[in-house]
Amino acid sequence: MMIDLILLSVLLIMVIWTVMAIRLVRSAVGLALTSVVLSILMFRLNASLAAVFELSVCAGLISVIFITTISFTRRMSKSDFKTRRRQRLSKFWPLPLIIIAAAILLFWRHFPSEVIFIRVPAENVRDVLWNTRHIDLFGQVLVLLAGAFGVVALFKENKK
Amino acid sequence: MSILILPIFIPLVAAVLILATRGKPRGLKEALTLVATAATLAISVQLFGKEISFILPWIGHGIDLSLRLDRFSGFIVLFASLFAFLTALYSVVSMRGKDHPKQFYFYLLIILVCTNAAVLANNLIFMLFFWEGILLAIFGMIAIGNKNAFKTATKAFIIVGISDLCMMGGLAITGYLASTLTISQIHLELTPLASIAFVLLMIGAIAKGGSMPFHSWIPSAATDAPLPFMALMPAALEKLLGIYFLSRITLEMFKLSAGSWISITMMTIGAATIILAVMMALVQKEYKRLLSYHAISQVGYMILGIGTCVPAGIIGGIFHMVNNALYKSCLFFTAGSVEKQAGTTDLERLGGLWKQMPITFACFVITALSISGVPPFNGFFSKELIYDGALERGKIFYLAALIGSFFTAASFLKLGHAAFCGKASQENRRVKEAPLGMLVPMAVIAFLCILFGVYNQLPIEKFIQPILGHARLEGHNFSGFPANAWLTLTTIVVLIAALIHHLIAAKAAGSGLKASEHIHHAPVLGTIYQAAERKWFDPYEVGMKVVHIASLLLMAIDRIIDWLYDGFLAGTAFLASRALALLQTGNYVVYIVWSLVSAAVALAFMVK
Amino acid sequence: MFSLLVLVPFLILVAVNLSKKVAPNVACSLTALATLAQAGFVVSLPGTLLKTNNVIFTWLPDFKLAIDEFSIVVLAAIGIVAFVACCVARSTINDPGQRATFMNLLLVALIGMNTTVMLRDIFSIYLFVETIAIISFVLISIDRGRLALEGAFKYLMLSAFATILMLSSIALMLLFSPTLELSGLAEAMSVYPNPILIKLSIGLFLCGLFIKSGLFPFHWWLPDAYSAAHSAASVLLAGIITKVVGVYVLMRLSLSIFGESLHIQAMVMAVGALSIITGAVLAMTQKNFKRMLAYSSISQVGYIILATGVGTPFAFAAAAFHFFNHATFKSLLFVNAASVEKRLGTMDMREMGGLSNRMPATGITSLVGFLSTAGLPPFSGFWSKFMIVLALWAAGKYFYAAFALLASILTLGYMLILQRNVFFGKLKDGLGGVKEVGPGLVIPQLVLAAIIVLVGVCFPFVLNKFIFPVQSIFLK
Repeated sequence: MMIDLILLSVLLIMVIWTVMAIRLVRSAVGLALTSVVLSILMFRLNASLAAVFELSVCAGLISVIFITTISFTRRMSKSDFKTRRRQRLSKFWPLPLIIIAAAILLFWRHFPSEVIFIRVPAENVRDVLWNTRHIDLFGQVLVLLAGAFGVVALFKENKK
Repeated sequence: MSILILPIFIPLVAAVLILATRGKPRGLKEALTLVATAATLAISVQLFGKEISFILPWIGHGIDLSLRLDRFSGFIVLFASLFAFLTALYSVVSMRGKDHPKQFYFYLLIILVCTNAAVLANNLIFMLFFWEGILLAIFGMIAIGNKNAFKTATKAFIIVGISDLCMMGGLAITGYLASTLTISQIHLELTPLASIAFVLLMIGAIAKGGSMPFHSWIPSAATDAPLPFMALMPAALEKLLGIYFLSRITLEMFKLSAGSWISITMMTIGAATIILAVMMALVQKEYKRLLSYHAISQVGYMILGIGTCVPAGIIGGIFHMVNNALYKSCLFFTAGSVEKQAGTTDLERLGGLWKQMPITFACFVITALSISGVPPFNGFFSKELIYDGALERGKIFYLAALIGSFFTAASFLKLGHAAFCGKASQENRRVKEAPLGMLVPMAVIAFLCILFGVYNQLPIEKFIQPILGHARLEGHNFSGFPANAWLTLTTIVVLIAALIHHLIAAKAAGSGLKASEHIHHAPVLGTIYQAAERKWFDPYEVGMKVVHIASLLLMAIDRIIDWLYDGFLAGTAFLASRALALLQTGNYVVYIVWSLVSAAVALAFMVK
Repeated sequence: MFSLLVLVPFLILVAVNLSKKVAPNVACSLTALATLAQAGFVVSLPGTLLKTNNVIFTWLPDFKLAIDEFSIVVLAAIGIVAFVACCVARSTINDPGQRATFMNLLLVALIGMNTTVMLRDIFSIYLFVETIAIISFVLISIDRGRLALEGAFKYLMLSAFATILMLSSIALMLLFSPTLELSGLAEAMSVYPNPILIKLSIGLFLCGLFIKSGLFPFHWWLPDAYSAAHSAASVLLAGIITKVVGVYVLMRLSLSIFGESLHIQAMVMAVGALSIITGAVLAMTQKNFKRMLAYSSISQVGYIILATGVGTPFAFAAAAFHFFNHATFKSLLFVNAASVEKRLGTMDMREMGGLSNRMPATGITSLVGFLSTAGLPPFSGFWSKFMIVLALWAAGKYFYAAFALLASILTLGYMLILQRNVFFGKLKDGLGGVKEVGPGLVIPQLVLAAIIVLVGVCFPFVLNKFIFPVQSIFLK
């Protein structure tokens, strides 16, 4: 349990770094690290298949693609960098405040200590995901279709 | 079908026919009116003295076309038809060359229809229907007069309309208390609620009669409305109708005793009307206006007489009603003749007409003597009866009536002096006597004035005493010369005093017209007169001022509310819109923050 | 039979894309036919079929779809609006390739929406909502204009936020329920002892749905997206897509899950009322035709949500009726906007005026839409608003009833501003050459106006055939 909590905190820090990084490269690295931590968590939760996918695709493939793409871009000038850094803080300062405020609002009096977890057997989860959820697969087909048509619609002219 | 329908039906048919006529052939309207009124008169003579009732089911629920002819209603119908006929005869000549003859004759007949129907009606709702019909006819009749007529018509409409509303309320309460709408079945004790009903009905009746404080449209109408209307309505039919209804409620529908506060109220109203109106009449300098104030003043005598609730007073009141209708319509006719021949009724420009218009002058003298109460003319006898009744109830009322008599005599002396005597001006030299068609009605009425005076057994024994019946009369017979010699003597002394006053004052002032000027400008009275001439005492004018101020006030409130809706609300909405639009910055980070905050608030609201 | 609602568009989609020779216009016609057939099919369903029970059919193992009286109303609205969007696309999108893409997207969206209406599993619902959201991004940005991309991006960002909320909600639900099927979920909730967790999970999902349906104060993406999107896309988006992914799902959840919780009802009603007033107030000062319609949409959706929050069968039926009416009259107004944009090339209302003289069909049908939106008899919008007010009153929510009544005055206000600025009055200088749009836009306008008038005039029939049966869902 303790390790899980530490991992979750690390995940959170990675995510925040990814979002707040000024240089795109650092952001991409942060994303890769996030995926790594996430896959460790998945291993610990007995979802090895998902963990492998996460590690290979997100941490590996996507990071490579990102960094390749970023290498084509122009480097940011020093002055730009400075102004961005200043703006970053001014942009994100309410975020922690809001999170803290929300936490206080929600859990101030009733931290769900009496939460009863309904434990579902592991086989059952797998069963649910792959045997009884055909309709979600259908939905994912639709997502793919939408994505494909979206790419056609948005980027077709650029190819010409 | 009953013969009772005819006095209503004949003029109605004639009225509709008149509406249907086009301009040609000339004289058709006049002929129709004359024939219809003559026929009505003939039928009412036939009907007189009979007692018939007739019911035709109408709406149901107690509202039926129910007619009743008894001694009283027969008598009123007889005189109403007589005056309608005489007025029609007079109008044939006097309305020649005036505008809107078609409407005039139509309204004349409609007034006769409504009067006959209202008098004959034995059902409260049925009566009310025709009572209101008269209101409309009055409005129309005044409105076809001169330029100011429409304003005056509105004034009359509002005043009479308000009093009619009172009457409507009174009828409703009466019907509720008596649980019947049939007039002949209503005999109510004077409980507090019944008193309210009585007062409301009384207001309707005396307002129709033209008593103060519902009088102020009459002097305005005198100058603005067609003259025959004045002779017909305020002088004759309205008095007949109003006093008829007042007598009905006093004698029949409510059990009124001599000592009740209602009786005293009526007598007070009567006495006040006599004095106030006659004081106003005294200072008028216009023939018709002067007469119109007397039309108001005389109704005071009738109300006083009936209000006494003693046989002498009631007989006197009803007799005075007939007499007043006679001499007042005749007086208006003389005014009409003078207006037609001399072209004006302004007393300052008249004078010395007795030579040119001897018959008119003779009629004027007879009727003026009647109205002043000089024996042996009819006015004397009815006034004596009223004095008798008033004296029985309290000296103060008698005194008021006597003062009224003094000023009546004084003002008619002034009127006669200014219009017919004195020096004729240049323009009046060429004036000729009125045409025959106008003289006949005047002569007939003047004759009736003498007849009802000299031979007063005819009206009193034949017409009036049967109305009360033997039980109420307690065996008295009020006809013949007054029994109380002292009263007669006092009256004669007062009349002589009025004559002497006039002679002295006229000599002092230099002309007959100015014989009343010293009263007009007397220290206290002068101020009151000034106020009255500024219409401070006219309830209608005061009411209109109040209404005007109230409407200005309401207008201001309306503006404020309008601004609230138009300016304030719309302005607020637009401001709010602009303010809210400021939130729409276009920065998606801000949007996400807003959504986050909203979600947190929503969750907090829900979870609590 | 009901599987055809999904199957037919899918087959058309496959057929159109398999051969390269199929012209976009054929795709257009096929889609239009399919949508019309859908509307006709659901409307012609006999009442007895529905009275038996939820028609659940297992097509594949565990491929569970269900249909009830409420779904019928929504499916009819989907058919009608999709048909109209089809017509509008045909006459406003000039590039054939782009038109083909639009048709494909429309078909995918149609499949997604039809499936969503028949789903009874919260995770599946989430998934399909996301699917339709992706289609929406593309639809908004199909023009690739700067504004359109900006609108799409804003929608993307807020949609992502909604996704986070909904996913967290589902995670919380899995804490106390072994299944995510709505009936099972409701059962698990009724026995679970910790109400805060339940409320939290539902609340998170609701907030996600508020964003999806564009309710104040979650509406930020909506004006930009509606006004920047292509005409055909905005008809589809404003007319039905946001209504299905946001409002329909919310109503479905209120039926199954949170219908009886007073706190949640109070919150939903408060959000609805807030949307009504702010949407209407914001609409008043807009200068852009479509933007004003967008804010009006926020306000009208507020009515539906307000009625949903009441929780009585009658109020729910009223909400369902307003759902249908809103879909028709808002689409009509957006088609009017499309017509005006086609002729004038702008949406700025300051450059319009007196267009009724030049475009009579557009002017008259917009008047129908306006009167229906403002809730004037005898148009359909009057009856549904009237039912909503009645339902609020009957449920003892006197304040909200009075509020709904008063707010309809505001509706009248901004719709009058719109009509006065665009269609009424004297013709603006320089607009003398404007002509009526072609039949491709006039026909959908007339169809929608006819539906609005017919539903309003034949209200008793509609009420008995479609609206009152919705109440019977509560009995099951």
